[in-house]
Amino acid sequence: MKRIIMPTPPDFNQWRETARAAMLEYLQPHEILWETEDQQQQDLFAAPPDSNPLTTKWTATPLESKTTKNRKALKIPRKFHDLSKIAICHSNNEKYPLLYRLLWRLVNERKNLLNLTTDKDVIDLNKLVKEVRRDSYKITAFLRFREINEAGESRYIAWYEPEHYSLERVMDFFTARFTNMAWSILTPYRAAHWDGQNLTITDAPDKTEYPKEDELEPYWLKYYASTFNPARPKKSAMLNQMPMKYWKNMPETHLIPELLQKAESRAKDMIEKSRHNTLRAP
Amino acid sequence: MHDKLAFKLEILADAAKYDASCASGTAGKRRAQKGGKGIGSLTGGTGICHSFTPDGRCVSLLKILMTNQCIYDCHYCINRRSSNVQRARFTVEEVVNLTLGFYKRNYIEGLFLSSGIIKSPDYTMEEMVRIAKSLRQDHHFKGYIHLKTIPNAALELQQQAGLYADRLSINIELPTTSSLGTYAPEKNIHDITGAMGRLREKIREHKKSKTYKGRRLPRFSPGGQSTQMIIGADQSNDKTILRASNRLYKGYRLRRVYYSAFSPIPDASRMLPLKPAPLIREHRLYQADWLLRFYEFDINEILEGTQNDMLSEDYDPKLAYALQNRHMFPIDVNKAEKHLLYRIPGLGPRGVAKIIHLRRQHTLSWQDLKRLRLPVRKMKPFIITNDYSPAGNMLDSLSLGESLKPAIQLELF
Repeated sequence: MKRIIMPTPPDFNQWRETARAAMLEYLQPHEILWETEDQQQQDLFAAPPDSNPLTTKWTATPLESKTTKNRKALKIPRKFHDLSKIAICHSNNEKYPLLYRLLWRLVNERKNLLNLTTDKDVIDLNKLVKEVRRDSYKITAFLRFREINEAGESRYIAWYEPEHYSLERVMDFFTARFTNMAWSILTPYRAAHWDGQNLTITDAPDKTEYPKEDELEPYWLKYYASTFNPARPKKSAMLNQMPMKYWKNMPETHLIPELLQKAESRAKDMIEKSRHNTLRAP
Repeated sequence: MHDKLAFKLEILADAAKYDASCASGTAGKRRAQKGGKGIGSLTGGTGICHSFTPDGRCVSLLKILMTNQCIYDCHYCINRRSSNVQRARFTVEEVVNLTLGFYKRNYIEGLFLSSGIIKSPDYTMEEMVRIAKSLRQDHHFKGYIHLKTIPNAALELQQQAGLYADRLSINIELPTTSSLGTYAPEKNIHDITGAMGRLREKIREHKKSKTYKGRRLPRFSPGGQSTQMIIGADQSNDKTILRASNRLYKGYRLRRVYYSAFSPIPDASRMLPLKPAPLIREHRLYQADWLLRFYEFDINEILEGTQNDMLSEDYDPKLAYALQNRHMFPIDVNKAEKHLLYRIPGLGPRGVAKIIHLRRQHTLSWQDLKRLRLPVRKMKPFIITNDYSPAGNMLDSLSLGESLKPAIQLELF
């Protein structure tokens, strides 16, 4: 049994190099125990890492030693490359054995494995990919900037807690849309900063940098409350698309309980008034 | 918070919310230029939903009226002349600043601007165009803009609107000429369809042609045009409504027809029914509309499933069609062509794509359909796989419809 340790947050290139090297040494999927740095830290007080006689730590040998022949032999479909790049962002660490098993099977079993959409491993991969994509989409949807003024210059700051390691995946969206603004997006694991020209990614963000308020936010709340139609509340449809786990960083969601509570009486009131109009002589 | 602006926002967002269209449609891709002056982008797909209100609707655009003052007196409308709601009016700058401010905080994809008619259709349209023009030209705004067009405004103004907007819409409001005459006496069906026809020509012209020097014409409402019909305010049945939609899709190439179940409004007119139209009716109309647009159904096929010219409340329109056409089934999922797969109850365009993709690899079994997470319970009486076919009497059973009713009534209210 070999132990392979992967970094947290995940690093696609490192995974790819490691998996390639393991493949070239014919390490079979069941021979590898995939671990992550954060698991390691948690285990620090348990047993010393190398105390288990059944496992030895394994690291990839540098790329130069690979012969061209071997590199050619490891051709994999573009689709796997693209999907694994997304799946690697998932917070579930079962992704490592799954991706390696798929890689092994793609090379040794069948090239078009990914087309077998009823295969257990393929189903699992597609599920990871779908969840990361949804998470990324929700960042672009539910993230809220607050404006601050620094020496006459505007800066926009957001705090967001993604479920997966999705921050890097949405950088194209934010730089294309908010191109000419200076902004920072803070997440629990990393932060991204844009000055209008360059993107910088930093570790260990400081949540206290997130402003407590914003000048325009009260108007947004006003808009949100006014655009709701009390005559047709449909809570489950809302929760389907916007589960409560997203609520804490969306200012408008604080209004929801009261809006729902008053909806019925507001609708009744409107009908009452109409009845009154009907009874009025023309 | 500036009280006066907050007051206007409250009134003019409230007045705009009865327009059902909430989505920002597909209008191609676009991004702000690095180092340039602009802000905003279009992602290429349908717009992002930045929030959801407790009525389950997506908040994608800042949907407001420029003003709710109106010289018309349409009975179904909250803003009609004779209604005693509070009135307000935004200035051009106020709308522009709110749109940009909301956009920069990632609240919205862009602006949906509609308006009551003040002074004259031309004057109103001109003010609306000024807002769109200022966003595009003064602020280089690259986000989404939807403008509600006023049918009898000058052609010149409608054409300007198309140069700044991603989508234009003109509400048809009611499906027949006589209903429109009763409920919206100042509106005229020929003005509406005439304007739709002219927009259609203009959209087509700008999409296809180039100038004599080979340059492309500027974008003109690249997201096409849409419209809205109010359901349940007049006596029109579903057949009339769906035939009207079909004409709009076929004749005017509309991207969307929105259906808005009439719901009580503050200070409603005496001509309106007191009770709201059932939301299930609106839901079934949308399902039928989907069959027209994405399932290759012909209007007459959909109407086969109606009773007394109304869609069934119990079954979705496709299931109703299948129950009327049992001789077509069961359909072999391994062999049937795409347009037949579309007719299997429970199976949508995505499901069909999954089946077609996988059956290129191997023949499909019952278990495969389950692993693809298709709604097998609903499909069961209507399909054949390599190891399954429905029991002989299943399709002929009179209680088939009964057994396929949803076990628990879905929450629609």
